[in-house]
Amino acid sequence: VTGLPGRPEAATLADVLERVLDKGLVIAGDIRINLLDIELLTIKIRLLVASVDKAREMGIDWWEHDPTLSVGQRDLAEENRALRSRVAELESSNGSASDGSKTGTRSAEKRAT
Amino acid sequence: VTGTATYFYAVTRPLPPDRRPALRGVGGTPVRWVHDGGLAGLVSTVDLTEYGEEALAAHLEDLAWLERTAREHDEVVQAGARLTTTLPLRLATICTDDDSARDRLRRLGDRALALLDRLDGREEWGVKLFATAATAPVPETAGAASGTAYLQRRRQQMVQRDVAADTAVRAADEVYTRLAGVAVDARRHRPQDQRLTGAPLPMVLNAAFLVDRDRVDDFRAAVAEFAAARPPDSIALTGPWPPYSFAALEES
Repeated sequence: VTGLPGRPEAATLADVLERVLDKGLVIAGDIRINLLDIELLTIKIRLLVASVDKAREMGIDWWEHDPTLSVGQRDLAEENRALRSRVAELESSNGSASDGSKTGTRSAEKRAT
Repeated sequence: VTGTATYFYAVTRPLPPDRRPALRGVGGTPVRWVHDGGLAGLVSTVDLTEYGEEALAAHLEDLAWLERTAREHDEVVQAGARLTTTLPLRLATICTDDDSARDRLRRLGDRALALLDRLDGREEWGVKLFATAATAPVPETAGAASGTAYLQRRRQQMVQRDVAADTAVRAADEVYTRLAGVAVDARRHRPQDQRLTGAPLPMVLNAAFLVDRDRVDDFRAAVAEFAAARPPDSIALTGPWPPYSFAALEES
């Protein structure tokens, strides 16, 4: 929040678009345009239009998509490979890989499924 | 394609001519009022070379065009809302002519009037909540014996992510429930994607509230209370909006 707390901010383009494209009274006009068929909307606006994805209407799924909070599937697979080789390295050089290592690896793999 | 069509912005109750200011709509076209069914429609005449089906489909792919048109559409709706209770129509609601627009008004009739009654003296406010710093940095441990430490640190980070996610969901629920208590009605929209917001942290709540005008101060005070208890920039208030999120009507 800029300035005083609770003070309204200027509406962003996303705020305006989600309202004019997805909210408001729907009246079938004579010119039929399915806003959700439009390619640009698929790529950009789809990200904010709730009706596209009713299954996640409540939308509390952000950590699944956010790379700073959750590594993606591919990254995770890569990380698992790195972890395994690191564990193997430690086991061969040390002969006493700790339980912690194994648990860590297993928990990483579990998240990938 | 040649000719014109009637672009339809919003529905209100009829206003006397001296309370209808000159407004400009999409592409700078002058806004007119059409009447039927006890209702008024804000419309303007647009060129089919720009607003015909094919042209429109092409233009909507152009983000600059879409932004300009969305803002022009919203400005007409906002101007209507400053004059009287206003039902915003979805972007690009286009009829062949004014008669066709009047036919829409006639068909809306009493259902729209009942909705206008419900929205009288109320306005929409938007509240967006962003996650706060998700993970405290886990100290790096350097050195040859750090294999186990490395794995433990990874595990700790994952646990922290889960905790951060839980905390964010709880914060979103708390803010929504508290503000809905001050509002007449509330909607949870899908949080906007971080790629669109450009914010450093993800949005966890994107809600709209229908608030009685005489309770707006209470509503804003409640938002301010949350803002004071949170890091800067983690809560955003927008409004007042015309009641976009509360203008739903079953099609008949």
